[in-house]
Amino acid sequence: MRLLVTLALLLPALALAEDQAGDDMRLIVKPVLCITDNRNPSCDMSFLVVWQSGDTGYHCLFTDFTEAPIRCWSEERAGRLSDDRIVRESFSYWMTGSDSSSRLAEVTVEVLRMDSDDRRRRRRTRHVWDIN
Amino acid sequence: MLRRLTQLALLLLALDATLCLAEEETEEVTESRWRLGAALGYGVRSNPLVQSDDIPIIVDLDIAWFGDRWFFDNGDLGLTVADNDAMTASLVARVNSDRVFFGNTDTRFVDFDLAGMPLAEAVEFKVPDRDYAVELGVEMLTDGPWGTLQLSAFHDISGTHEGFELYANYSYGWRDRRLYIEPSIGASYKSADLNNYYWGVTDDEATVVVAPYEAEAGLNWHARLMVGYQLSRHWGLSLVAEYERINDEAAASPIVKERDVLGYFAGVAYRF
Repeated sequence: MRLLVTLALLLPALALAEDQAGDDMRLIVKPVLCITDNRNPSCDMSFLVVWQSGDTGYHCLFTDFTEAPIRCWSEERAGRLSDDRIVRESFSYWMTGSDSSSRLAEVTVEVLRMDSDDRRRRRRTRHVWDIN
Repeated sequence: MLRRLTQLALLLLALDATLCLAEEETEEVTESRWRLGAALGYGVRSNPLVQSDDIPIIVDLDIAWFGDRWFFDNGDLGLTVADNDAMTASLVARVNSDRVFFGNTDTRFVDFDLAGMPLAEAVEFKVPDRDYAVELGVEMLTDGPWGTLQLSAFHDISGTHEGFELYANYSYGWRDRRLYIEPSIGASYKSADLNNYYWGVTDDEATVVVAPYEAEAGLNWHARLMVGYQLSRHWGLSLVAEYERINDEAAASPIVKERDVLGYFAGVAYRF
């Protein structure tokens, strides 16, 4: 019984420690915006991915494109790589620790489509405030 | 009986497939019907009228809604009557834009008339007022790899000037990632009734300062350069420069001091 009470008291603390480990992970991706239009429906981009963790250990970088990690690092607390991709839809990069199901940090690359299929959205009005 | 049931089942399957396809198409359309934005910056549009002030632009609001057929675009109300691969045609109701200059005029005491001749004594003078006109017309939009063309024809339906305007605008945009550059040129033919209402001077309005003047039809030209730089999904920088050359008939009016209307705006824009 005492053991159960001790475990019940420790579980939130353990969960907090895990969150803190997640907070220690920093993930930076550049660029994070891809702009497309009718003439250029995709972006040919070279992403610089940089991560830094407070803990030395096993870390992996994932994307939405594949189930397998792009790359893993052992006994490292920082890393970087260049990732070339043709982007058509928004996607994410994320870092995990030894538990690959837990995302320690995540960055989303957004695809912004500037053209519309609706021609009326491109009409010019002649009002004085029509400036964009 | 079995054949009937089979036919009915096939019909229902076909209907279901059609509905599913329609749902899928609906799901693909994620574009909001609303287009809402605001830009904050500084800009000016020059005023061609005598005794007038330039029109400052500090805040620019973009409020538009596009339904399947109806749309509202910054004051214009439209009903789309045709939309296909080649073009989009709409009936549009709008407020005439020439009136905007007459809202920024001053009353002054002058001792010269508008032709430059000295007066015996100083008299009060103000540019005659003009009303807004509600106009109804047709608008045609077409585009392709060659650019975008907008053609329209509007006629006064408010009994204000009782004239019409034919308008054409061509634009071509270049995009390089976050940078977008779009030059455009166009022309606007204004009928004699429209031109004379806004730029003429009636006998009743004539004073010792300004002589009567009747304007005939004329053709305005305009050119515009828009440069946008997208900072993020919502934020962007916007720079616009615009030039309009007023037609000869309007430019010759005694209440017009400049035949060139220049406008610019630079600011930060947020799109919701």
